[in-house]
Amino acid sequence: MNMKLVGGAALGLATVLVLSSCGSGGSGDGGNTQASGGGQVTLKMVAADYGDGPGKPNSGETFWKGVVDEFHAANPNIKVEVQVINWNDIDKQVATMVQNGQVPDILQTGDYSGFVKDQLLYKVDEVLSPNVSGDMLQKFAEFGKVDGTAYGIPFVSSARALFYNKDLFAKANITEPPKTWDELKAAAEKLKAAGVTQPFGLPLGQEEAQAESFLWMLGNGGGYKDASGKWAINSPQNVETFTYMKGLVDAGLTTPNPGTKDRKTVWEDFGAGKVGMVNGGPMSIPIFDAAGLKNYGVAPIPGKAGPLDTTLGVMDWIMAFNKNGHAAEIKKFFDFFYTGNAATKISDTYKLLPVTNGGIEKLSSDEKLKPFLDALPNASFYPFQDPKWAEVNPAIKQTIGGAVKEDPAKVLGELQKVAEAG
Amino acid sequence: MRRLRALEPIAWVGPAVVLIVLVVLWPVIEMIRSSFLKISRFGVVQGSNGLANYDKLFNEKDFADIMVRSVIWVVAVVALTVLISLALAQLFNQRFPGRKIARWALIAPWAASVLMTAIIFKWMLDPEVGVINQIRLKLGLIDAMGGAAADQLGDASTAMPWLVFVAVFVSVPFTTYALLAGLATIPSDVYEAARMDGAGRLRTYWSITLPLLRPALTVAALINVMNVFNSFPIIWAMTHGQPGYSTATSTILMFILKGSDIGESAAMSVVNFGMVIVLTVIFLRVSRWNKEVA
Repeated sequence: MNMKLVGGAALGLATVLVLSSCGSGGSGDGGNTQASGGGQVTLKMVAADYGDGPGKPNSGETFWKGVVDEFHAANPNIKVEVQVINWNDIDKQVATMVQNGQVPDILQTGDYSGFVKDQLLYKVDEVLSPNVSGDMLQKFAEFGKVDGTAYGIPFVSSARALFYNKDLFAKANITEPPKTWDELKAAAEKLKAAGVTQPFGLPLGQEEAQAESFLWMLGNGGGYKDASGKWAINSPQNVETFTYMKGLVDAGLTTPNPGTKDRKTVWEDFGAGKVGMVNGGPMSIPIFDAAGLKNYGVAPIPGKAGPLDTTLGVMDWIMAFNKNGHAAEIKKFFDFFYTGNAATKISDTYKLLPVTNGGIEKLSSDEKLKPFLDALPNASFYPFQDPKWAEVNPAIKQTIGGAVKEDPAKVLGELQKVAEAG
Repeated sequence: MRRLRALEPIAWVGPAVVLIVLVVLWPVIEMIRSSFLKISRFGVVQGSNGLANYDKLFNEKDFADIMVRSVIWVVAVVALTVLISLALAQLFNQRFPGRKIARWALIAPWAASVLMTAIIFKWMLDPEVGVINQIRLKLGLIDAMGGAAADQLGDASTAMPWLVFVAVFVSVPFTTYALLAGLATIPSDVYEAARMDGAGRLRTYWSITLPLLRPALTVAALINVMNVFNSFPIIWAMTHGQPGYSTATSTILMFILKGSDIGESAAMSVVNFGMVIVLTVIFLRVSRWNKEVA
């Protein structure tokens, strides 16, 4: 019997070791990009998936395969291997690659700034022709610079506006979309009386709480930072904003328990006709279309005293790592991407907004995209160039929903502490 | 020649030892090493960080709550799993028509991916369209779909029981089969002897079945303890540990920290690792103590 116990203990310990070592999985297998014989160069690229995932017709794999095949046909000496990773995992997986010294040649994701300080990236003018970089929207290109030198190349962008369900508005006898918070509350109450379960869709859950929060903050002249560039998450304006939102939540005028709801769920509910109004972007249009919702309108986001004259702009980036050399080949690929039809195709497929003047011109006739294109030049952005943002952002995603459930000042105060620590 | 003979065992165990060192020990060492490094969110190692990662971790506002919740989570899930499995194993050890089908059916939650099961339960609990809420609506337990009352995963007090339920649901099949195998090893003459001595059913179960089932029970419960402590997909898929951190366990916190501070996340992994060892030792102690009394 004792032997069995010892055996059990040994088995137990072995299992502990195996199970706990599973936790740290996800090793990248990249980095094998030596040029082989015949001048053949293989570029390794990691990209985020804008589509609905592997196997779907709009998956990132399908999109990039089309681009890469076309590029390879024009440049037989250069092969591009693309690894597409979904948005939830890409940051963590890329971090693992960097930590293990197995960086890709090209990375397309949501941020570039953290790689600059350690000199992991090529400068933009080393990997992009002047005629391409000259066509970038000036305001966007500025955000790609650290200390005056450009490292990040704007890839795609998006902006936000208020979507409202015209059928539900008609049912509740609301003639036009709200412009102020008071009008918003009045409209929400009418919708509620007309039997709409979620008059205002409020996703403050993990997926994108930082975006929804920022849109509300902008409506009261607030933001994550004040005009002087200091963190101001618990500024009086922001506390007032969240107190107002808490009022909506307590009155049952929003998505229930907003702090646990992802935007995707709320957008799907809007598409299903269960939500009266919701903040969305061009990328939510395919979701509404897929759900069969046709009769919706787009309007500027209401603020406390009037509609916002700005909106949240989000930019994604593409960048080149300098570890394996290959600057010349990368330059060919980037020029091919921006001057060919690939950049247009990505805007078309995923309803993302272009980042070049040429691209915006091409799309300006699209009725549904027009409000967003108009909003782009005056957009506000996250303070992502502040290194602290990398820590503040996950904290916001996890906890800011509490500000419409508990004491707003206390929850925002805790986030402010995270931003100011160290 | 004789000396070579003596070395022979090494040739046999060697590959296994190499494998264990490579895939088990090495990652553990890397994990511990990472917990003392300063690593940016982007994966750039910025040098040694001493104990600062641990310091930061222990000073997280929600750390204590999360650790307590993790222990409660493990105890609740494992205790319920074992109790239900003991009953099910007894049932499936009887002969009854359709036993084969019933035994096969029990495999289903085990064979399905845990993540898939968790997502299906999340859908069934959806406040707007979830089937569980439609049933509750028909039964008159809630007034309408879509409101806070229909949103059980939105609040920790109602979400935790559902998380425990799903964890038990996916753990029961394995545990039942382990116990069923244990029951099959108990020789029937022991039961005959007990009957001769006039032992009742309860007495037989308590004094014969349970003690003889102990090895199987120990192994099954131990594997469950570790599995449940490290369990990630159920909570992540159903609540992301939200609202706030109020449904997060230490494994969830480790994953969230990985997005902001890899060094701190590694420190959390090391603490997790220590916790599993401590829980295991306590568990083995407790089961030995049981034996001495019996």
